[in-house]
Amino acid sequence: MATPARSAAEHAPLVVSPTAETMAGAPIRQRNLWQDAWFRYIRNRAAVAAGVVFLIVLAYCLIFPLVSPYDPYDVEFSDARQNPSLAHPLGTDAFGRDLLTRTALGGRVSIGIGFAATLVILAIGVAYGSISGFIGGHLDNAMMRALDALYGLPYLPFAIITLAILGNAGFWTMVIALSIASWLTTARIVRGQMITLKENDYIRAARSVGARWHRILLRHLLPNTLGVLVIAVFLELPGVILGEAFLSFIGLGISPPEASWGSMAQEGYKNYRVFPLLIVIPSVAIATLILCANFIADGLRDALDPRTRET
Amino acid sequence: MTAFIVRRLFWTLPVILIVIFFTFVLMRQIEGNPFRTSERNVPESIQQNLEEKFGLNDPWYVQYAKYVKGVFTLDLGPSLVLRGRDVNDIVREHFPESLELGGLAMLFALVVGIPLGMLSALRANSFLDYTAMFFSNVGFAIPSFLVATLLIYFFALQWGDVFGFPTSGWTTWQSKVLPSLALGLGPMAYFARLTRGTMLETLQQDYIRTAKAKGLRWRRIVAVHALRNSLIPVVTAAGPILGFLITGSFIIEQIFAIPGIGRYYVTAVTGRDYSVVMGLTVLLSIIVILANLVVDILYGILDPRTREART
Repeated sequence: MATPARSAAEHAPLVVSPTAETMAGAPIRQRNLWQDAWFRYIRNRAAVAAGVVFLIVLAYCLIFPLVSPYDPYDVEFSDARQNPSLAHPLGTDAFGRDLLTRTALGGRVSIGIGFAATLVILAIGVAYGSISGFIGGHLDNAMMRALDALYGLPYLPFAIITLAILGNAGFWTMVIALSIASWLTTARIVRGQMITLKENDYIRAARSVGARWHRILLRHLLPNTLGVLVIAVFLELPGVILGEAFLSFIGLGISPPEASWGSMAQEGYKNYRVFPLLIVIPSVAIATLILCANFIADGLRDALDPRTRET
Repeated sequence: MTAFIVRRLFWTLPVILIVIFFTFVLMRQIEGNPFRTSERNVPESIQQNLEEKFGLNDPWYVQYAKYVKGVFTLDLGPSLVLRGRDVNDIVREHFPESLELGGLAMLFALVVGIPLGMLSALRANSFLDYTAMFFSNVGFAIPSFLVATLLIYFFALQWGDVFGFPTSGWTTWQSKVLPSLALGLGPMAYFARLTRGTMLETLQQDYIRTAKAKGLRWRRIVAVHALRNSLIPVVTAAGPILGFLITGSFIIEQIFAIPGIGRYYVTAVTGRDYSVVMGLTVLLSIIVILANLVVDILYGILDPRTREART
């Protein structure tokens, strides 16, 4: 997707408005890393579009249930399985509930689980990866071997077992189940980042002036992994949202009448022969969000970490 | 090369032990003893005999050692719910279907995905490229239950007379087409994107220019020189994907009513047949581990530089 024009533009000098300051030969205004990344990101049209759609979906899920005239749990059989109309822009489900309202409600749960599980994944990954990478040596070796072993774990079976251990499936049990076997990649990324950063001169400088290890870790190393972590949020999110949908679909996750995109798809599946719209709508919602997350992750990677552009 | 394979084989053993241990620990966390359920009123003496028979009174490390021995002697123990049946019977009955489904899906993913990615790379930024990449991105984001239901809805129900695909089952070749497509679409999209990316990068390499300068035909350069190196990341990704595909798909097997291992897994979890759940989990993990092993060995053959670095 890279165009030659773009790499040239990256090196273009920053346009500074000719104020009195610059005309007097004052130092050129500098951009910090995040501003720099922001400028690179907004030049990526696909990533910007994905970001906008992502925000629109978030806003719709958060705001729409508040302003909707329909109760998402109100069963009205006389309105069951209506095609999209002015009154119900997405139609109604098998119980006559307005789908536009219910999809928003389901989105709250699915996206909520998605972000919560992603944060848990990042927390475990950062802890494991930074300990392994920072201490290094035999411990690093052992921890990486253990990680290799855990890579053998199939993800969904372990999520299912975790749900069985925790008993009933709710919001937080789903979060735990979905993060228990998914933090491995993040841990590996953080560890790799730590190992590279550790060799930098400024770390040696900090060490030579007597900074203690926790200051080096918290003040110099971890802030520098922030870029990778921001990318990791959008790399992990699709998997978690799909995981929620899969578990709820096979009846082990969020169960009706509670709405999540997965449980709505499960309800839709029961009716797909007569009314396929019921499974299409939550699935399209899931696909939209995942597509956006993928493009955002790509854009962020190009913006934050231009050296390691993935192929 | 032999040393590399032996070393790699040697490392697989502790990995399998750790995975069994992890599963074992998780399974022990599940509340209760299968024989002490309130639904079943069994005299105390029989209960003790049962616990004795299944070794539930042994300390955990003895149980673990027995279980490990069982795994390596290919005896996964009896089912706790189905009287007189072993986990081995269940594997023997349900695994062939999953294996075949996963194999066919993988075949579809590779046979369509890799050429699609190559074509996209060779005609980069053309209409064909954009169309292919659009569909790969979408195909990667759509949940498989939507793909499956739409395939059934259109090719088995709406236009069923034309195509003659049944809606479910796993008997005739017609019944195997739709499930394999549904399961393979996601990996296919992934392989297409991956191949396109690495192919584009490989085509920029100096040795391709050399080959061109030497006067080799373009077709030969692409087929022999570029393809071999472009396939390395594909092979890396293919291992885990194959592992996950052949260990059964919970969703696809349920939708198409295929009596495979993924579908049985869900039945076993909801039926609290823990020895079956544990046996299947260990089996799935071992398959994933072995798939990774094969990939690493292939990787060593394709790219001799990695033999030393990877243990």
